[in-house]
Amino acid sequence: MDWNLLLGQATVNGLIVGLLYLLMAVGFTLVFGVMRMVNFAHGEFYMLGGFVAYALVVKLAVPFLLAVALSFVITTVIGSLLEWLILKPLRKDELNGMIVTIGLALILQNLALMMFGADPVSLPSIAVGTSTLLGVAVANSRLYVVAFAIVVLALLYVFLRHSRMGRGLRAVVEDSETASIQGVRARFYYPLGFGIGVGLAAVGGALMAPLFSVSPFMGQTPLLKAFMVVILGGLGSIPGAAIAGLCLGLLESYSSLFLSSSTADMLIFVLVIVGMLAFPRGLIGRGEA
Amino acid sequence: MNQVHRHVLATLLLGSIALQTAAQETLKIGAIVTLSGPGSPWGQAMKNAAELAADKVNAGGGLEVAGKKYKVELVPYDDKYQAGEAVTVANRLVFEDKVKYIIGPTGSAPTLAVQPVTEKNQVITVTLGFTNKALGADKPFSFRPVVTTLEFAEPQIAWMVKTLGIKKAGGLFPNDESGQVIARDLELAYKKAGAELAAKEFFERDRVDFVPLLTRMLARGIDTIELDGNAPGTAGLIAKQARELGFKGKIVRTGGPATAEIINVAGKDAAEGMFAHAVLDPALPSTRAYTDAYMAKYKAVPNGFSPSFYDFTNMLFEAMRRAGTVTDTAKVRTELEKLKDFPGALGKLNWTGKANYGVDHQLAVPFYIAEIKNGVEVIRARCTVSDGCN
Repeated sequence: MDWNLLLGQATVNGLIVGLLYLLMAVGFTLVFGVMRMVNFAHGEFYMLGGFVAYALVVKLAVPFLLAVALSFVITTVIGSLLEWLILKPLRKDELNGMIVTIGLALILQNLALMMFGADPVSLPSIAVGTSTLLGVAVANSRLYVVAFAIVVLALLYVFLRHSRMGRGLRAVVEDSETASIQGVRARFYYPLGFGIGVGLAAVGGALMAPLFSVSPFMGQTPLLKAFMVVILGGLGSIPGAAIAGLCLGLLESYSSLFLSSSTADMLIFVLVIVGMLAFPRGLIGRGEA
Repeated sequence: MNQVHRHVLATLLLGSIALQTAAQETLKIGAIVTLSGPGSPWGQAMKNAAELAADKVNAGGGLEVAGKKYKVELVPYDDKYQAGEAVTVANRLVFEDKVKYIIGPTGSAPTLAVQPVTEKNQVITVTLGFTNKALGADKPFSFRPVVTTLEFAEPQIAWMVKTLGIKKAGGLFPNDESGQVIARDLELAYKKAGAELAAKEFFERDRVDFVPLLTRMLARGIDTIELDGNAPGTAGLIAKQARELGFKGKIVRTGGPATAEIINVAGKDAAEGMFAHAVLDPALPSTRAYTDAYMAKYKAVPNGFSPSFYDFTNMLFEAMRRAGTVTDTAKVRTELEKLKDFPGALGKLNWTGKANYGVDHQLAVPFYIAEIKNGVEVIRARCTVSDGCN
């Protein structure tokens, strides 16, 4: 066995999976930052993104990139509407809000089950063949996904840093009362923050759809991973989620290279617990919950 | 049918203007099948198969046993693929509906759970469960009309090793009881055929990214990936990701009809050239006739296991005719065991299983090895339990 090659392969795989966790976790932490609410339906928006991409690409023959963009737009609109219609009375009401999102998750899962059935479906691969990067063979389809994910994250960064809306959103995340005093219209930013947060999950789902498969229950594992990443990175902290997401992806990849897969799964949770004990407020966190 | 019931029936017939000359009695057949959740495609296929068999005898004026004509009626209950639920409905069928024959249960755990009730009350059951504990000399009323890994793994793998030249195979299996058992059985079968299962990995069932596991497995220089033991969707993902990693070797699946789902997930290109276990030969006229009748009534393609249950129900009817009774199940069972070369939808059917289970209650249905060509299965070898594949 060529260890250098295997290590390189594991690193690339780890970064790819880490990027997926990152997309999920950034949206998750954004929603938490705005609403102070743990969104248990986050995984279902990931699923929704996957199904929207599937419907567009397979049924309507829309090009994949456009389908990803549309799945973001559609999910952001649906997310904003849901926030406005259902979650509005529960803003800042952590416990009841959480229960409502669990209900929302079940409703979305079963709607998908009724509409698309239980059998997993898949998108055609976006690219065929493999490329060699520094001696490591990587499937081209995965390279595309990585590139798209990086573009999405860069766009998000620019939006949050430099646009008026993004700055407003960050102000609400920071302190909604002070932001209101300064003339930021918080009632506009709640649905927007929720919508963008779940839209990011949808982009994750749409990007991963050609690599994995799309089914009504596909969101459960990524939700769990996003939860771990967000807690590790510090609730509400976007840079923390970024570091923790990539670390978790790499950790998973290396451990499943050296250990049997069930031992690896166990080890990851042990490390998360140790991480929590060492950094109770998260890697970069304000320690709020 | 009890005395009171018979009186009521007779009174009703006398009281009304009877159009029929002979009084027709009803023979109830129970069914404990999975009609909701992930196991429902199988349960539905079993129930529909029994219904079609009942329709056929009813259309001919009913099942004639010892000069009496019975209208066959199916009483199905959903067990939700759960042992506890299965026991509840088994009690209802045996003690309230008073059935003597049950189609099902669908799963292994429900089967083992209801057997204490059905065996004690001499109720004939027929399961789809693959567990080797479903049949035994101490379970004289339990039968199975589908072949399991124990029957098909050896002949199929022997054929594949010989014909495809497999030397080193690798497999990914779910980390639970069924995955462990299948991995063990396959390892033995490959060894017996002169090849080896050189790499095997276990993973948690909700996993979707197999690239790390495949990377490690491909590094061992395997020439074949074995997909048996995995749910259809998971098998599709493994095939797809292996091809994406540049795996050029063979992909095979020893067991379980899953080709349609694998193609759905992996895509036509990744599935091209895959060798899979198949339970039906669509070219066989009797099988095609069954498929057509099924599609006409249910507007859906039958699951591959469905014809087995249609054939078994017909065998059960034949055994009742020969035994001359519908109530004495011990007699019916003896006649059922005696059936030889029964002409079914799947072909000529016989009993086997003495060597594996201690009792000949396993139906030796034929099976096939198919190659996937352009998204459809093309039969490459025909196999029987006794003679192997060729």
